[in-house]
Amino acid sequence: MDNNQKIKNIIKSLGEHQDSHAAIELLTELGTNSPDDEIRELTAQTLIKKNTHESLRVVLISKGKGINDLSARVAMASINELLSLKDKTEALKILDDTIKMHSEEDVRNTARSVKALMTFSS
Amino acid sequence: MQISKIGLNTKKTVQNTHSEKRLSTNPFGVSFKGNVIQADVFETGNKTSITKNISEKSKLFASAVVSGINSFNESFKSRMNAIVSFGKKVASDTLETLERIGNTEIKINMDGIKDKIFPDRKYEVKNLSKMPVEELKSMWQDLTEEEAAA
Repeated sequence: MDNNQKIKNIIKSLGEHQDSHAAIELLTELGTNSPDDEIRELTAQTLIKKNTHESLRVVLISKGKGINDLSARVAMASINELLSLKDKTEALKILDDTIKMHSEEDVRNTARSVKALMTFSS
Repeated sequence: MQISKIGLNTKKTVQNTHSEKRLSTNPFGVSFKGNVIQADVFETGNKTSITKNISEKSKLFASAVVSGINSFNESFKSRMNAIVSFGKKVASDTLETLERIGNTEIKINMDGIKDKIFPDRKYEVKNLSKMPVEELKSMWQDLTEEEAAA
């Protein structure tokens, strides 16, 4: 097992971890700031799967993370994960707030696009 | 004396000799001073002496056997006593050992053994999810540093 796979397994284990708050903090600190696209992609997917206000905020409103990631691959993987959520209530609520109140126009535009996709797909 | 009578006598003598030979068990027909030695005499004598010797020897043998049996019994008893005492000691030692084993708590760190056999085992998701987040953080940082160095 190579080191990259070990890190991926750590990320997956954090998705199932009982200490959800500490797990989200670690994923935000190390995962979303990783120079490796695969690690950032897996981190964003893991945070979205948790489907909590705290985890979704990181990938929806943070510039350069989740749906706002500079890598199209990471951004698309995040959007796909959002679309596959069974309960989209919390995600749509955060997107609404972002569209209304976020200071960055790019972030607002991305949020608007993603919200439209989620609305049409559901 | 008439010749005819003499002849008869001669005949008789011959007949007597035949009868003496028939009585004798001596196969060689040894004679001493004209008389045939009765083989039965020394045969009987020999038989008597052999029997005597045999009976004497058998007595000696029997006494030797008896004394031998006695000494064997004594040595056997002493050896058996030694064996019995050894067996008792072994039994008591075994019981003591079993008691000690019964009172001893044996702990085998199976996780440690498994980790040594399968070094990547701790990186399985089900095992990682049981670890504290702080430990996962340090593991992640170490792996990132290793990757950057490589």
